[in-house]
Amino acid sequence: MFEYFTDPVLRAPTWGCMLMCLAASLMGVLSFLNKRSLLGEGISHAAYPGVVAGMAVCAIDAADEGSLFFALVGALLFSIIGLWVIDRLEKKGKVHSDAALCFMLASFFGIGTLGASFLQGARPLMAQRVQIYLYGQAATMTDIHIVIYAALSALIVMFLVISYRPMQALCFDRVYAQSLMIVPRYLTIATFVLMLLSIVIGIRSVGVVLMSGMFVAPAVAARQWTDRLSTLLWIAAIIGVASGLLGNILSVEASQKLRIYFPHERLSLPTGPMIVLTGSAIAFLSLLFAPRRGAIPRLVRILSFRVRTVEENILKSVWKSKEISLKDCRACNHLWPPSLIFLLWRMQRQGWMTQAYRRYALTPDGDRKAARIVRLHRLWEVYLADLGWPEESVHRTAEEMEHILTPELEERLAGQLHDPKLDPHAQPIPEHDVVC
Amino acid sequence: MLFAKTALSPYWDLHFFEIFAQIGQRLLLLFQGGGILAADEIQILVLGCISISCGVLGPVLVLKKMTMLANSLAHTILLGLAISFLISRSMFSSTGFDMPHLLFGALIAALLTVFSTYVLTRLFRLQEDASIGLVFTALFALGIVVVTLFTRDVHLSVEVVMGNADALRFEDLVVAADLALMNGLFVLLFFWPLQMSSFDSGQSMMMGNRLNLLQPLLLFLTAASCIGAFRAVGVLLVLSFLVGPFLIARLFFHRLWHLLIVTPAIGIFASLIGVALARHLLSVYGLALSTGGIVSTLIALLYPAARIVSKFSRLKELKSN
Repeated sequence: MFEYFTDPVLRAPTWGCMLMCLAASLMGVLSFLNKRSLLGEGISHAAYPGVVAGMAVCAIDAADEGSLFFALVGALLFSIIGLWVIDRLEKKGKVHSDAALCFMLASFFGIGTLGASFLQGARPLMAQRVQIYLYGQAATMTDIHIVIYAALSALIVMFLVISYRPMQALCFDRVYAQSLMIVPRYLTIATFVLMLLSIVIGIRSVGVVLMSGMFVAPAVAARQWTDRLSTLLWIAAIIGVASGLLGNILSVEASQKLRIYFPHERLSLPTGPMIVLTGSAIAFLSLLFAPRRGAIPRLVRILSFRVRTVEENILKSVWKSKEISLKDCRACNHLWPPSLIFLLWRMQRQGWMTQAYRRYALTPDGDRKAARIVRLHRLWEVYLADLGWPEESVHRTAEEMEHILTPELEERLAGQLHDPKLDPHAQPIPEHDVVC
Repeated sequence: MLFAKTALSPYWDLHFFEIFAQIGQRLLLLFQGGGILAADEIQILVLGCISISCGVLGPVLVLKKMTMLANSLAHTILLGLAISFLISRSMFSSTGFDMPHLLFGALIAALLTVFSTYVLTRLFRLQEDASIGLVFTALFALGIVVVTLFTRDVHLSVEVVMGNADALRFEDLVVAADLALMNGLFVLLFFWPLQMSSFDSGQSMMMGNRLNLLQPLLLFLTAASCIGAFRAVGVLLVLSFLVGPFLIARLFFHRLWHLLIVTPAIGIFASLIGVALARHLLSVYGLALSTGGIVSTLIALLYPAARIVSKFSRLKELKSN
């Protein structure tokens, strides 16, 4: 495991992927909060002709060593142009932002394809290097890459630390922040430049086509776990780094396995898809299982509330007629029979109810609980009538409120209404002492 | 291999404008019943058919602001195709690329994409842009892994995004023509509901149009068109055909049925020039350029040119008034 960090051949891809994922996930959070996650998709495609142009310039000079630098500069230049084109299309051409983004990315990618095919004819070796940028290939990175990526990532982290406050204002209320002049204009521009930088760093290891995945996935995953911006950035950074590391290891290991199974074919799994798959898997798991916002915990919360509501309704109906048969219980609760039987069984287990000769009755425990619900129901009715609500329509609201009112609210309500004995329909309200 | 095949082409070593004259001559010959289709003619016809099938869907997609969903479909068809290929290979042991395969792949891709995007936005309450971005990158990455593992073709995953117009065969033309016909019929049959829902979906719903039936059909056809086009121009350059010609046409025309005729025409124009240019550059200067790249670049260059022309014509109108 540790050889991935220390081995002279393996360490460069590992550190490179981690640094690039760190940069992308941090800037991805900002664009996610601005609801422009897909901008990353456009920018990364716009960078492709830049890579080709950079390589072509390199090819003229025949200087192989500088190819990384030229590719980076070219990609940065073209992504700026791409951003400018989108802006022009939206403002001058009155094209919807959706279509402008799509047209720009397809056109720039087309230009890139044209350039790549030209390079294929002129300098096949250089063209092979351009292909790397399509899906990313971390395996051929060297220590120079790490130094450059580390510097760029450090720049992004420093920028976020220094301008955290105005950034926060910008993320949550753009118009307010701008009208108060909290956010200097150069900050918006700097954000864009750093966003471009993070994408330009990333396309070497994740690739042009899938770069936007690394921009979106960590932000989505992190958003599930927290509501604070600072925590959000931390979690996104950790998830990004983790998926970069895991994706790289997966890609290396899988390629080794493939080479063993199919020794005649030169197969390898590109790094980009593996990193993106890891990141997306983390995002999907977070979407499912995150404690507060996740889908499954939410489903459980909804279900348990509904079960409680139905149980309380059953308790109430048994309380009113002292004992009840299964048939009557069905008549007043309109439930699917199996679930009714299950709920009745569950309430017996909890010690609220007893069953004898197919008739159900309440235990003292259940009796207290049912009386409390009736008390809440009738208290709420009194309260509504007190507010001047028509008496015949207070029942429906009380049906819902009886499941929601807490003991503290009950106490305040009783105090304000001077502990009433009868509800608007002249029914007795169970005493507080009886209930508890 | 490329050179050996193209040396037989009747368009070899011709001046750029002579190519068009040659096309005319050969067209006459074809109508008289002689000759077979050369590789270049197949390319032109396939690209023309792609222009038609994308050109009739593009306006609707752009007007309904669904282009990023189309972008996402363009990526996920890779997984759809891979799954369709895996199932059919094990079931029928045929490896051909034919219409049923294609439609099945498109169906899988469209279903997967639309369903998972819908689930993310509605059930998981994720914002729409993020759910689109998450779904298509994950599915595309999965598609690449599946393709790499099961087809074991190193070049395929590159060709998927770039396309290779030189490898087109007559079978591709049949598929492309079928798709063009299908999309044309779809737009013709559902012109009124499509028009209304493009401009005012609320009004359209109020008047009883079954949007919930039309939209999935539209997305399915988009996926099918992307699959039909990806061998020729790759999954990403299809988007140029979908969006570019419509944006150009919209500068001059403002009625939907005008647009539906002009948009394919612009696409066909760009493909004709593109193929001729590619042939000319290859045979005269020895530059082997990607035809898809040339066509897409042409569409991209046509837009600013059209902008300038439309600006001048509007200025003239103002002066004459």
